[in-house]
Amino acid sequence: MVIIILSGAFIATSYFAVLPWPRQVSPLDLGRLSLTTLENLNSGNDLSEAAFDTGNATAWQDLQVALSDSLPPNVIYNLTVFNVNSGGGGSSLYTAQASVSNAANLGISSEASSYLVSSSNVTFNPTPQKIGETASGGGGITLYILNCSDSNGWWITGYSSQSLAQDLYNLLSPYFTQTVVIQSTAQFGQILSGKPLQGESLQNAVIINTCGEAVPIPSAYSGSTYSEDSYAGYCYFLGQKVNQYNWTWTSIVGYPFYYVSNINMFPNEQNTWGIYGMECVSSGGLNSFLEGLDNQPFSYNSNWITAQLSNPVYLTSEAVNFCNYYGIYPSPYQTSTRALPTSIISQYSLDVTTNMFGTVSGYNPGAVYRHTVTVSGKTNFQGGFYALGLTRTPDIRLTALGLLCDYQPRIYSSDYNSYDTSRLVVLQLGLVGGT
Amino acid sequence: MSGVTVDHIVSVIIFLAAILLFVTLFGQTIQTAVVYQENQATAIKCSDLLDSMLLNPGSPNYWGQSDVAPASFGVQDPEFTEYQLSAFSLMRLSDSTGNLIEYYKTPNLCYTSVTAGAGADLLTPNAESLNYSEALALLGINGTYGFQLSLTPDVSVAVTQTRGFSPLSLSISATGAGFPFSNAAVNYCLLLVTLGQTQAQYPSYTLLDGATSTNQQGVASVSFPNVTNPNQVYAFVVYARLDGIMGVGYHTSVSESSQYVVPIVQDMGSQTVMLAHNYDLNNSNALTDSLKYNATFVISTQDYTLNELSLSSSSQTYGTIWSGNENPVEKVTLPTCTTGILIITYQESTTQGGVILMPWGINSLAFPITFGGNPAMQEWVATDLRQVMIGNVAYQVKLSLWSTQNGVQVTI
Repeated sequence: MVIIILSGAFIATSYFAVLPWPRQVSPLDLGRLSLTTLENLNSGNDLSEAAFDTGNATAWQDLQVALSDSLPPNVIYNLTVFNVNSGGGGSSLYTAQASVSNAANLGISSEASSYLVSSSNVTFNPTPQKIGETASGGGGITLYILNCSDSNGWWITGYSSQSLAQDLYNLLSPYFTQTVVIQSTAQFGQILSGKPLQGESLQNAVIINTCGEAVPIPSAYSGSTYSEDSYAGYCYFLGQKVNQYNWTWTSIVGYPFYYVSNINMFPNEQNTWGIYGMECVSSGGLNSFLEGLDNQPFSYNSNWITAQLSNPVYLTSEAVNFCNYYGIYPSPYQTSTRALPTSIISQYSLDVTTNMFGTVSGYNPGAVYRHTVTVSGKTNFQGGFYALGLTRTPDIRLTALGLLCDYQPRIYSSDYNSYDTSRLVVLQLGLVGGT
Repeated sequence: MSGVTVDHIVSVIIFLAAILLFVTLFGQTIQTAVVYQENQATAIKCSDLLDSMLLNPGSPNYWGQSDVAPASFGVQDPEFTEYQLSAFSLMRLSDSTGNLIEYYKTPNLCYTSVTAGAGADLLTPNAESLNYSEALALLGINGTYGFQLSLTPDVSVAVTQTRGFSPLSLSISATGAGFPFSNAAVNYCLLLVTLGQTQAQYPSYTLLDGATSTNQQGVASVSFPNVTNPNQVYAFVVYARLDGIMGVGYHTSVSESSQYVVPIVQDMGSQTVMLAHNYDLNNSNALTDSLKYNATFVISTQDYTLNELSLSSSSQTYGTIWSGNENPVEKVTLPTCTTGILIITYQESTTQGGVILMPWGINSLAFPITFGGNPAMQEWVATDLRQVMIGNVAYQVKLSLWSTQNGVQVTI
């Protein structure tokens, strides 16, 4: 009786306690394999083209060859393309358009992945976030591009300030709530005196000087306070204004503030290279600007502080990453002959918020500096300076990229999953012997 | 003893024997279930681990292009998302077989090759390579699992020289996982080497480009009517592609000689490559001899032609390599972190020479990779597969995983 009871229990247990097959115990993740295969097939957009060209036998034959060559020999597949319908009026959302397979059926166990491909005539419309803008739409900042027709540039050889300004406008204006192109030194003087040109916000603005090593000077700033020490006083004043309005001053190439330029103020002065309308401030201009930015007392200092780096400098990995994000691709290596020393960071209470290039032997070939102030124990930024100490001629894409790296506005993609422009590709995989 | 007592004793013995028998039978069923549970846990871990390796660039992101030791392991290309792998991170993996190569001129340093192909070499400094035990520790599976990661190009392209040399004819055979790569577009580049004929001349090469397609058997033939010299030194690089799947093949023909050049990556971070004489490798420094060389770096362009990039100004692109410890090491610095092929033409005499290719980034010549332990003789090995892209070359990645713990506690 005991044997009968135990035998019965064993048989009953064995009947219900069915062990899985080895394949179920250690399954191949066919779903993932399917997805990665679809991604590879579409790496050159070929899958998308075939999905929208279902009548093209050659394209589908090629697709099948590529599919067969990608998958292990023991994997069987069925690839089906579905059209995405509007789904209105009770109609089905997906309609099968074409299918290829290398087996009559995929057995009792298979997995599938789907992949949405879009037609080549779909247009993607990215929408950039406005820098500084809050969720309520306020708080955006202004971009000023200095395009003064009455001042000349230097180290922008091969370009004119106007062409650089136009390129900058095209690259950067989508990211700012308002972009103002300053057409003359008089207009520049107006914003220096705190008067907006088009009702824009002066506070926190970005100013890009397209004149290279020269900086436009309005005629109103010809007095002795500003002309002191070959107009180093004017550079000091600019530093103070950058601090006052929390501007970000951008120098696109070479030694910043090396000249001041106004063709009416200096009709007979030239930069020793035959470019008239310029007065050489020399290396004291940059030191004076930094003194003004840090609210230090004006003390003329003509020391040359930049370095000429012997080897090419390379974009940092962060900058390269943002190249892909913003779709701006300057050469990843550049020549730097006016790299700023890292010693200015402690000397003028600066903080580097973006390094475009790696620091080389204590010099920064290109970086965004923010001036720090501490009020009531709280540290804030008050004024900024983006200096690209590269050699001529300037690559304006580096200017744009550096500012975008620093502010990091987002890019929102438009919805592309629209009716009749998308097709769903489903790749179902099974294993031979699964029946 | 009465009959009743005997019956009672016999029945108790039978009862105990039956209990013992069925406990054993039940025990076997339960044990099998436990083993199955353990193996399923290994299989799930395998899939998770594979995604963890392939969808994470590691830390720092660009560890593959530097000489720093990674703080976490991953081989994804940091500039992409999804299953796009870094050609450089894979170069920093150490050879699992432990075969190291010594270079006489850099004592106390050894070099490893996680991948190799005939006619092309990729040797990297072992000190900068990530070895298997380090990878286990970085993945957090040290002492619990062992693995082997292998990457194989989806399409293998073999190039053979057809019999007879006049003119030069080559046969290209492209096959996928088990199917001919038929109707594939084929682009090829032939590098014809010219050996210097005077003391002042160094070997150089000229490039011939062309395009064709494979037939239904995945085979294509190309012929060069103007190349009739049977001793011609050449290298041949071919790209076969179809619907996003691309394979790369190559073939070299060199003069018969005991001397040749071996490029060795000295430092991944600075992209410095030493040009070694084979006499200086693995203590084979028996002779002092020299080879004249010429080094160039080429990248594959969008139309699958090879385009030369100038080497760094600090590089000596041509010169003479002398074997022997007293002679300096010849070095070149590759221009950028772009993937490409370092081509070194060399000559021993005016009639004997060769050409060697070194991929900078494993995808340049579609080198395969095998990294990790040996799954043979393991009790249970779970495997999983993914399709990935390295550059624009399609690879299949296989991870084999096994448990190294005995008697794992499994909750049923």
